[in-house]
Amino acid sequence: MPRYMVEREFPKGLEVPTTTQGQKAMLGVVRNNATEQVTWVQSFVTDDHTRTFCVYDGPSPEAIRRAAGLSDLPVNRISEISVLDPYFYVGAGA
Amino acid sequence: MLLEREGLLESLGQRLKDAVEGKGSLTLVGGEAGAGKTSLVRAFVDSLDESTLVIQGACDPLSTPRPLSPLHDFAADPHSGLAGLIGDDRAPMEMFEGVLDRLTRTIRPVVVIVEDIHWADDGTLDFLRFVGRRIENTKSIVVCTYRDDEVGPDHPLRSVLGQLIPLRSTDRLVVPPLTLAAVTKLASNYVFDPRELLRLTDGNPFFVTEILASGEGLPDSVQAAVISRVAQLDERPRRVVEGVSVAPRSVEIRHAAAIVGGTLADIDAALAAGVLIGDGHTIRFRHELARSAVEDSLPPARRLSLHLRMLGILEEEQDPDPARLAHHAIRAGRADLIVEYAPQAGDVAVRSGSRREAVAFYRAALDHAKELGADQASDVRVKLGAELRLLDEPEEAETELRLAIQHFRESGQIEALADTLGQLQGALWNLRRFDEGWRAMDEAIAILRPEGPSETLGMTLYRMAHHHMLSRHAGPAFTHIDEARQVAEEIDSEELDWLVLLMTGCINIVIGDTDEGIRLLQESVKRADAMKEPRLLAIGLGMLGSGAGEARRYAAAIPALERGIEQGLATDADYSVAYNRSWQARIALEQGRWDDAVGYADLVDRTTLQREGIAYITAMSALGRVRVRRGDPGGLPLLQQMTDLARDHELQHGWNAICGRAEYHWLARTSQPGLDELAPGYQRALDTDSEWARGEIGFWMWRLGSIDGPPQGAAEPFALQMSGKWEAAANLWREIECPYEVAMALADGPEKAKLEALAIFDSLDARPMADRLRRQLRDMGADSIPRGPTKKTLANPGGLTNRQLEVLRLVVEGLNNEQIADELYLSKKTVEHHVSAIYSKLGVDSRTQAVNAATEVGAVPK
Repeated sequence: MPRYMVEREFPKGLEVPTTTQGQKAMLGVVRNNATEQVTWVQSFVTDDHTRTFCVYDGPSPEAIRRAAGLSDLPVNRISEISVLDPYFYVGAGA
Repeated sequence: MLLEREGLLESLGQRLKDAVEGKGSLTLVGGEAGAGKTSLVRAFVDSLDESTLVIQGACDPLSTPRPLSPLHDFAADPHSGLAGLIGDDRAPMEMFEGVLDRLTRTIRPVVVIVEDIHWADDGTLDFLRFVGRRIENTKSIVVCTYRDDEVGPDHPLRSVLGQLIPLRSTDRLVVPPLTLAAVTKLASNYVFDPRELLRLTDGNPFFVTEILASGEGLPDSVQAAVISRVAQLDERPRRVVEGVSVAPRSVEIRHAAAIVGGTLADIDAALAAGVLIGDGHTIRFRHELARSAVEDSLPPARRLSLHLRMLGILEEEQDPDPARLAHHAIRAGRADLIVEYAPQAGDVAVRSGSRREAVAFYRAALDHAKELGADQASDVRVKLGAELRLLDEPEEAETELRLAIQHFRESGQIEALADTLGQLQGALWNLRRFDEGWRAMDEAIAILRPEGPSETLGMTLYRMAHHHMLSRHAGPAFTHIDEARQVAEEIDSEELDWLVLLMTGCINIVIGDTDEGIRLLQESVKRADAMKEPRLLAIGLGMLGSGAGEARRYAAAIPALERGIEQGLATDADYSVAYNRSWQARIALEQGRWDDAVGYADLVDRTTLQREGIAYITAMSALGRVRVRRGDPGGLPLLQQMTDLARDHELQHGWNAICGRAEYHWLARTSQPGLDELAPGYQRALDTDSEWARGEIGFWMWRLGSIDGPPQGAAEPFALQMSGKWEAAANLWREIECPYEVAMALADGPEKAKLEALAIFDSLDARPMADRLRRQLRDMGADSIPRGPTKKTLANPGGLTNRQLEVLRLVVEGLNNEQIADELYLSKKTVEHHVSAIYSKLGVDSRTQAVNAATEVGAVPK
């Protein structure tokens, strides 16, 4: 399954409280993702909480969008990505 | 003794219980030959009481199976109530619907058994697909057995399994090999070591029992076990066994005696030995493995003579089945009999939709072309050619058709010659040798004209017009259709008259007289309705949907597509469903309903097997363009792939993909690669009369800087924009209801128009255009550029689609489903479908609640 970077913008800031409510919200996202065969791998959040960079596995960009729609999450950009490791080329070159 | 099958019997019993409660199902019982599939099914049937009706049928191991053989078995059972319904003279769909009706409208649950579907003919495969897709709403179960180890990737059953297995109502069971415990139990009275027996037989129950019965050491194959068992019989009963082995099914006892000149006592002896089993009237082998083992062991001369005798006996019967006669004639190697029965069997197969079987029978007949005689051989070749084309083997079709053409030409058979030239054109079209095809058609017309008006002349003219229409050459299309109209009037043919109406509509759309074209196509749909001709109706709906769709006349196109899909689903016309859906995807793309476009494309992707066909190309091109317009990954490679697939098709199937690529490169500011495909497409567009192809392809040529203004005859909104009249273009696009194009036109205007465009792009999630416009506005020094979409601003209330919103508003106005259907030109069924989707999205279950919820979510003003 391809891997995608999903960029999201939250102009008012994304707040996920570390409470049961926050936990419920996160699990809701996971459940919604499952209906589209989408897996949320991990996210990076800017310090001001207005932007997130989320790594996802999924069958297509459309599935990522549908899953976001179910969880009411914005989608600003989807890019297909692969892993580039700093030591990938060690031993491969001359 | 049935061992270790309790779990499987329980599963079948549970399915039946579910069926009684209204949830029917189809169960596929797989297992290798001799695994005990039939024994399992028998044990299940024996466990049922009078409250269940059992209908049984089987597929034959004939070299070429009898078309729809299980259905004929159903009909032969007087309890089935299907006797009057099944016949070689009936249309397959009519028979399928009859059986389904029987399974639906029943007080007693029905258990339908279809054995050995790995031998099923194409017609029976169609039947299984038809019933399997609809069984859920019946009170019945269908149980099919098949040898799962014989169904490889190219086996015809494979695609049917692929379509049925994902369904909720399909269940799979596998009959596993026996365990050591079971083998030990079976061998308890014998000297064999159970471990050795298990190793040798892999737990195959039939093999185990054959070895135990033969009692002679351990043979190395099941065939050897059978032969050794038969060899132990006295000569006369053995002769009976050998005689019965040439009949792939049961044989009447009197026939069995006649084949080998044996007596009833001999038959009793054969039965007593356990090789054969009987039911009082007929006898047969205990298993097909045993039968084929015995038949294969016969010396050739003896086998031939037994088949010939069997044939003689069948010929005496009333209404013998030609497939079986042909089978024995072929096995007996008698050319005179093959040429008599094989063509008949082929004709029956054609009527049953069993194409591979028809081809096999016709080929068997043509193996003896000399005995067949030149006239009949040519006749068979024409029929064979037609079936080969449908099986997508155009090269072989061409060979057969050309041989027939040569004979018809030499013997001066005008009508047959012209007809066959028409067929040849079809094969050449499949082979992408278009020009040769035109020449064949021209020749046919030239031959027929001097003979005066005829059905063949009219149809040939119509097809010529059709092909010119497809390649968007209006002039020759009109000339041919006008001549066809005269012929239709003179010979008074209702169908030809209808086809002329249809084609005139299509050609009008091509030349841009859209109103008249749509009016004629709507008229043709109405007339097909009145004529009660589902085949013509399907053609009319498809033409109206795609023709009006190409001209961006959505109000006319959408209802036609929806109705076409509904009709296609009811008749298993899978291709027609996929074609109509692919146009729904294209229209949804153009209307800015991108989620819908993706949904339709997904459906086509998941259901179409022809992954090089027009429907697939159309749907995937729409998906690719959605990705490009959203700035999502994966758009360009998909469009590239579709451009490659579409290269051999007419321009209209490829133009979306090439325009999508051009759009991608324009957005990415890499103009050159976009032009590579676009420029040749533009030349093709100029060579046709299609204003929308000229318009859109021309538009992207203009965007990429290759032309300065609109080409002659480009569709108006595109032409306006290319002439710099962005405002007029935007207004026209707004009327047509293409929001992305509205915004594209506004984006060419000054700041205020650009801001308006930006709002539309943002609402569509069209990021690349929105980014581009923001940059331009910043460069222009514009202030107050909106930040961008924070969430979907234009999403419909309640997450409803535009269509659902439309239906909901009429519900609020108090219309019932039938009135809504009339209002929106939809069928009642489609409206019901929309209404139930609306209920589930709004979380309500009545009309009153829906009305209240509609106000709450803001679907209608308070």
